[in-house]
Amino acid sequence: MSEHAHDEAPPSVMRASIMQARRAAAPYVTATRIALAQLARSRTARFGGMVLAAVVVVACFADVLASDLPLVCRWQGTVYVLPCVTHPPALADVDCAAMRRDPGDRAKGDWLLPPLVPYGPDAAVPARALLPPLHEGHPFGTDALGRDVFARVVHGARTALELGLGASAVLVVIGLTFGALAGFAGGTVDAIVTRLVESLTAVPTLVLVIVVCAVVPHPTTATMLWTIALTRWTELSRLVRAEVLRALGTDYVMAARALGASPTRVLRRHVMPNAIGPAVVAVAFGVATVLLTEAAVDFLRVGPPSTMASWGEALGEARSHAGAWWLFAFPGAALLATLVALNLVGEAARDALDPNLRGSIARPPENA
Amino acid sequence: MFRYAVRRILWSIPTLAATSLVLFFVTTLVPNTPVTQRAGEGSDPGAWARAVEARRSSFADLPRFLNRHPQDVRSRAREAVAKVAAGDSSASPAVTARAREAGVELDHLGGAALPYVIPALEALPPDARGRVAVALAPVAERMGLAAQADVQQPETAALFWTRFWDDRSLDYARTAVARAMTRLLNHGSDLREHDLVALDTFALPDVIHAMSTTTDGQALARLTRIAHHATGRGPLLEPDAEPGDVRRAVADWREWWFVHATDFIVLDGARRIGAVVSETRYGKWLRRATSGQLGLSAIDGEPIEAKLASRAPITALICALALLVSWTVAVPVGAIGAWRRGRAFDIASSAVLFLLYATPTFAVAELLRRVAGAFDVGGARIALAVAALATGSMAATARWQRAAMLDVVGQDYVRTAHAKGVPGWRVLVVHALRNALMPTLSLAALHVPALLGGALVVEEVFALPGLGFETLRAVEAHDSAWLMAVILAASGTVIVSLVASDIVHGALDPRVREVFASRARRRS
Repeated sequence: MSEHAHDEAPPSVMRASIMQARRAAAPYVTATRIALAQLARSRTARFGGMVLAAVVVVACFADVLASDLPLVCRWQGTVYVLPCVTHPPALADVDCAAMRRDPGDRAKGDWLLPPLVPYGPDAAVPARALLPPLHEGHPFGTDALGRDVFARVVHGARTALELGLGASAVLVVIGLTFGALAGFAGGTVDAIVTRLVESLTAVPTLVLVIVVCAVVPHPTTATMLWTIALTRWTELSRLVRAEVLRALGTDYVMAARALGASPTRVLRRHVMPNAIGPAVVAVAFGVATVLLTEAAVDFLRVGPPSTMASWGEALGEARSHAGAWWLFAFPGAALLATLVALNLVGEAARDALDPNLRGSIARPPENA
Repeated sequence: MFRYAVRRILWSIPTLAATSLVLFFVTTLVPNTPVTQRAGEGSDPGAWARAVEARRSSFADLPRFLNRHPQDVRSRAREAVAKVAAGDSSASPAVTARAREAGVELDHLGGAALPYVIPALEALPPDARGRVAVALAPVAERMGLAAQADVQQPETAALFWTRFWDDRSLDYARTAVARAMTRLLNHGSDLREHDLVALDTFALPDVIHAMSTTTDGQALARLTRIAHHATGRGPLLEPDAEPGDVRRAVADWREWWFVHATDFIVLDGARRIGAVVSETRYGKWLRRATSGQLGLSAIDGEPIEAKLASRAPITALICALALLVSWTVAVPVGAIGAWRRGRAFDIASSAVLFLLYATPTFAVAELLRRVAGAFDVGGARIALAVAALATGSMAATARWQRAAMLDVVGQDYVRTAHAKGVPGWRVLVVHALRNALMPTLSLAALHVPALLGGALVVEEVFALPGLGFETLRAVEAHDSAWLMAVILAASGTVIVSLVASDIVHGALDPRVREVFASRARRRS
């Protein structure tokens, strides 16, 4: 009886030992896990990741950093919390400057806590056009229409991420589908996809985007994004195809097949997890391509009309004001920092994925 | 080696086909604008005609890939005759309106339709026969025929045309037209010209063909006169016209013929079968792409191919120079970086190159323009443009060179060279670099798409009148012919350079050839 009691371990010990056994027995070290671990160890990738994180934070808090409405305020007796984000209709006609200045509308006891820079990206004050940096509360100066450059750079980060991630999402879906299809089906399907990839590779992105935006009757930003997404999935599909072919040759896939797993299950459980690495690479380079192309197209002033504050648009405006260096420097620096970070992460991810590619004898992303 | 080259070139054919499909879809994205307004109802009949013409010249009226019932002069003439015949005085307004349109169509088809209209008259009831014969009156007038009264009266007109056909049907044969054309080109008198005018649109195929083969000013003047007389459109040439005017006028006629040829020729036999594929939007587009007849520029009416030829050298020069500059800088930097791996030079050059790699070409160009804005001379502008364009490919090349060199440096023969006392620089240059250069040089083709995109930007920034500069002007003017031509040219260049680089690579490295070897040989 007492021996019996000895055998029965308390539940907590048992759970711990199961976890241990799992950890020990899990040969759950996929190529992707190794690659991601290596990616986390890479110093350049960490640096790039930090810069990207900063961009994401700036994009998320763009309204807090620069807006024409305050963070918190009491206006005509009502307290508003974060009106800069919610834009309540009651405050549609006022901004921080008006709240300070206007003694007529201001009720007794009104107060406000302005954001870091009390100007929105679209608030144009012609009287304050082309102010140099650090003048009249504009840390980065103002552009030719009197809009605050800091606000436009900060809100441009949001536009950049929206456009880049939007296009990349489509690109990743197409690339994964075609790559998996080519690798898994083989034969004729593979040949067709390979030809398609080769033929799309032959079309220069920037020229294509410009032509499409010119021939489509009413081009929008979406037109541009679709054009990029529908033509730039080729690199990803090549990487995915290679990964799929490699995985199909491994013993664990053979074991899964021998155990009677259906082709869909093999693909879903054993093959496709290997494609996460290529997808990370594709997202990094995809966002970079979108940013570059968007900026180049806006810079050349052939892009679709857009009301969003974007770095490319800011740079395009800088072209016609040669003396105003701040119009070029700040959006340019933001764009460059983001591109460098994306390239660092992308390269590191690619190296981690395939050590043979280190130093990357691979296709360069199209830099325009 | 020869087999490899042939194989590589053959493999590029499906790629070309796929590329052409992709580009076709992209460049014909413009939605098929339906012409909904009917003639006579609109406020401005000219606008209606222009809309129809615009639709026609963009081939929007044709099916995309298969035309099961390609239209030619015969089918058009029969349709028009049937419509005119149906339009008697008791018919509904819609039928009358259609009959009026069909009359205009018969006028447009002109002499080319006579071989199908006149024999068909016999089969019609008398009053319908009269209506059709009267509808042909403008054609008779153009051809300079007979008394007006005859062709204007329904009773006499049918008889007039039947008699006319009895007399003249022998002239309406292709061989007869060809003979008349030879006589005109050789002797060129007003009488010969009149012979062709009397044939009206039936002579057009030979007239348009002769325009592009003859260079004689007098003959060209006569040819344009005949064509203008028959169609009521298009430019006329004087006998002593400038070469530029001649080129533009001939291109204009050829372009018009490219769009409207099926209004005046009969598709029969093999041509009819071919038309199932060729008389489609894709067929027309593909013929444009392959024949080099790319249409007319909307900006100045110049033929696109001539414009391409005059702008391409500048772009080619900038790209070639940029490639050369980037190699001269990148190869030594990359090689030394690998040689001194991990030292200060390697780290510094890698960092700088990475920065250049990530910097957009347009930012570099704009910076250079601002910094060196004072040197606003042609030569200096080209130098700056080349410098801006070179930075992007320079960084990529140096990185490849470094990687290739790292592979080589670790090899036994390099160690052997060191061991037997060869000086360090000699090992680097003679032993290592020679082998490490090959991949770098053969990867040059991968730069081409980026170079073409970059050229567009630097040409605009430095105002160099190359292909890219012209493309941006075309965007402003909505010149879709130029845009289509330029994207075709760019993609074609990329494919050709990829194939060429594969062949060169294969010549240098037997392992590459294996990829394109036949399956049987690969197994053995």
